[in-house]
Amino acid sequence: MALALAVGVAMLLATLATINALGKENTRGAWLATSPQGPRARPNAGRQVTSEASSTKVRPLWWFVSSDQFENQLIVRVDVASSGARSLVPPGIPRLPGPGQFYASPALATLLRTTPANELGDRFGGTEVGTIGPSALPSPADLVIIIGQEASTLAKVPGAGEITSFSTSSINGGPDTLGTTGLQIVLAVLALVLLFPVLVFIATATRLSAARREQRFAAIRLVGATVRQVAVISAVESIVAALAGVVIGFCVYFLLEPALTHVPFTGQPLEVGDLSIHLLDVLAVVIGVPVAAAMVARVALRRVRISPLGVSRRVTPRAPRFYRVLPLLAGVAELAYFVAVGRPTYSNGQIVAYFVGFFLIMIGLVIAGPWLTMAGSGVMAKRTGRVPPLLAGRRLSDDPRGAFRAISGLILAIFVTSVSIGVISTILIDHGSASSSSPASKTVTDQFAFNSPNGSVPAVPTAVLASLRSINGVTGGTLVYAAPTGMRTDGKVPDINGLGGSIQFGLVSCAELATTPALGRCHAGAKLAALGDDIAFMPVMKSVTIAASTIWPTAQITQTLTGLPVQLIAVATNGSAPAIARTETVLDGAFPFASTTTLFGEVNSGASQLLTELKTTSEVVIFASLLIAGCSLAVAMAAGVSERKRPFSLLRLAGVPLAVLRRVVALETAAPLIVIAIASAAIGLVASDLFLRSQLGLTLRLPGATYYLIVFGGLAGALAIIASALPLLNRITRPENARME
Amino acid sequence: MNDKASLVVDRRTDYVIEARDVVFDFGETPALRGANLSVREGEILAVMGPSGSGKSTLLHCLAGILVPKRGEIYFSGRRLDTLSDNERSALRRDTFGFVFQFGQLVPELTAEENVALPLLLGGLRRSEALGRSREWFKRLGIDGLEGRRSGELSGGQAQRVALARGLVADPKVLFADEPTGSLDSLTGELVMELLVTAARQDGTTVVLVTHEPRVAAYAGREVMVRDGRVSSLVPDMHAP
Repeated sequence: MALALAVGVAMLLATLATINALGKENTRGAWLATSPQGPRARPNAGRQVTSEASSTKVRPLWWFVSSDQFENQLIVRVDVASSGARSLVPPGIPRLPGPGQFYASPALATLLRTTPANELGDRFGGTEVGTIGPSALPSPADLVIIIGQEASTLAKVPGAGEITSFSTSSINGGPDTLGTTGLQIVLAVLALVLLFPVLVFIATATRLSAARREQRFAAIRLVGATVRQVAVISAVESIVAALAGVVIGFCVYFLLEPALTHVPFTGQPLEVGDLSIHLLDVLAVVIGVPVAAAMVARVALRRVRISPLGVSRRVTPRAPRFYRVLPLLAGVAELAYFVAVGRPTYSNGQIVAYFVGFFLIMIGLVIAGPWLTMAGSGVMAKRTGRVPPLLAGRRLSDDPRGAFRAISGLILAIFVTSVSIGVISTILIDHGSASSSSPASKTVTDQFAFNSPNGSVPAVPTAVLASLRSINGVTGGTLVYAAPTGMRTDGKVPDINGLGGSIQFGLVSCAELATTPALGRCHAGAKLAALGDDIAFMPVMKSVTIAASTIWPTAQITQTLTGLPVQLIAVATNGSAPAIARTETVLDGAFPFASTTTLFGEVNSGASQLLTELKTTSEVVIFASLLIAGCSLAVAMAAGVSERKRPFSLLRLAGVPLAVLRRVVALETAAPLIVIAIASAAIGLVASDLFLRSQLGLTLRLPGATYYLIVFGGLAGALAIIASALPLLNRITRPENARME
Repeated sequence: MNDKASLVVDRRTDYVIEARDVVFDFGETPALRGANLSVREGEILAVMGPSGSGKSTLLHCLAGILVPKRGEIYFSGRRLDTLSDNERSALRRDTFGFVFQFGQLVPELTAEENVALPLLLGGLRRSEALGRSREWFKRLGIDGLEGRRSGELSGGQAQRVALARGLVADPKVLFADEPTGSLDSLTGELVMELLVTAARQDGTTVVLVTHEPRVAAYAGREVMVRDGRVSSLVPDMHAP
């Protein structure tokens, strides 16, 4: 027991350390989530404030955060300006950069040195005065730049403002520039999901160890011990064994800690220094595990009646009933209902609806597990004419709860991660960024929707247009204007994201639109067309893939296009990296604070990066869960063999080949693992399909080969762990060990 | 029997089992010190002796479960102790039957499935194996118990199920190690009567280990194991 617990404790510590590491990454990047609109902001510019933390007077800092893109990599740009001496200084740099100076993260500094200025450096201008220290970067690979500006410049930028302190948690609000808020929350949930199989493993090891001591407890009762005294002895033994397991587990963890940093939890290795276990974690493990072990042992002993004459069990265990499947069916039915009749209109209603659906399925899986195990194994035992499936099927249908218990943690982990991978894969594919030859991946867009007053700029200077035209590889361009009042269209403007709501139109010249096929096209002969806000305002989901095939309705206006504010610039290129980078650089230089420049095909790149990281995390969790389940099952298998030591030994003695018994044990151990893992993955994908259909109007796209490799690789790993315990069968059931005196 | 076994020189065809100068020890503890024993085909032989005398060890050597340190074991005139572990396992599975004192039934299986187990292992179809298994329930007077688990059977019922399992595959030799050791005297007598009757009807050789004279009385011949050596209690009337 101590050894199995040690493995469980080491896994538990690894999980906690990973959660802590993710928390540290989050904290290091939290300053980037500081917002002038946040609680620490100074709404009135120019007034001196006193720092809350000390009596030293610290002046506020002018602050503006935006994001940029370079070859599919996200760049976080922070523009700062001093409001006087003793101005607040961002973390990671020794002093504020002056106007025309910047600090770059080491990765971005390298990129700036190795990339032609007209493709990257010109976007920022100025001189590098140093690098941002690792204490201010979630990961060394992050691209971050802090650029010094004049306070008067930032004072004119919409969204810029003064701050008096930095956010210490990305959850506090503010711009989620690196996507850390959502990422950290979901990562934490996924890491917690990993705890289920770990805790089940610890419980399995403890329970089976308690069950093995039953005969000895019967002997103790024979000499006069009461049931209570036996319970106390059992609890003390469990606590002592658990404490030994905890101590060994800590040693195992510290031995394995360096290897843990290589686990690409977020797609990148964790920092060595980030992996740590807090005092609270230590106390929780040191106290919690032994106490839990004692409780589990107590429960395990209650399953049997230990009389002075031995241990008696129920001869015919009560079979699980069919009603156990009802919550699972109800959960699936609820999600299917929203596909049939449509989702709730309001977001609160949607949250409740989907939460209830997924919660019912998760609980339903755990409740239905024993019934499904019994039904499946019962069929196997009834139909087979071979001994291994007969014995394994009978064993499983005899105690389906026990068989399922060892993998109950796995079922939740695989369900949750399969749902997340199903949803993420579909969204990523639907973004349309996959095809590098599509027009969307060759078209640079600069949206003014978010960082400009009224979501537009008054005009695009002629010099900028000339610069764009002069770039080698630029093949066309379209300006999307804000539609003037009184504009009429000859048809309904398509709502290509299906998100509903009122549509704010954009207006384009059909001659220009013809040069940027990624945005769609006009009816033949039309001069002007009305675009939906999917293009200009909503950088989400379907617009990228559907826009190209959309024919926009013809628009009629009473004025000329000249003079209308511009919502978006789209520049078509031949797809070469220098052409794209130079186009982005020109646009960034022309609208340094007003634009969001990106490839149209990567319009959701921030979200894509976040989703890709979550997908990686889900895959790591699936793999780890399967390995942990393998450990649980190996322990359960060892206990099952010990329990049947005598009949198995006598069967061997009567000539039954060891291979037959090995197949029996392997089948009864591995069959539930394989069936439950595949079933929970399938149910997870079905649930994600129902969610995608009703909420996003998408159909599930099956995950890529990596997912299947991870699932089947994890299963193979789990089976290898189980197989490693099989030699025990030979030792325990050796015929010469069976003494019949 | 496999080819390798059949190549072994035939020594004494009139004995189905023969042990010659068998020596076996458990580490420093000697169990058999030159035991000799011959069992004729169809004979019911009782091996008696006090606890620790080596009678179970002798049975295990005769059945090919244990390999003696010295000496020779013959089955139907063929050397058994030189066979490989797999060959001895196959011999036990296909040619011998076993009945033990207790705990031999697989708890998850029903009584009839337990009886059918040797037939299923031999490759017989499930329906046929269960059919032959049920015949033994009638023969041993336990019909009606086919669907019960071992935990739902009394000691006597469980022993009769075990006896049925030992005999269902028509073994040449049935090895019974204290088959009534966990039963009361009346039930023990019933089990022995059934065992002896069935063995005589089918011509099965029985090697019965017991320390109870009442049980040994069912045998046609009794031998005593004492300090690892075998001595005859009742003269072998068929001896040459």
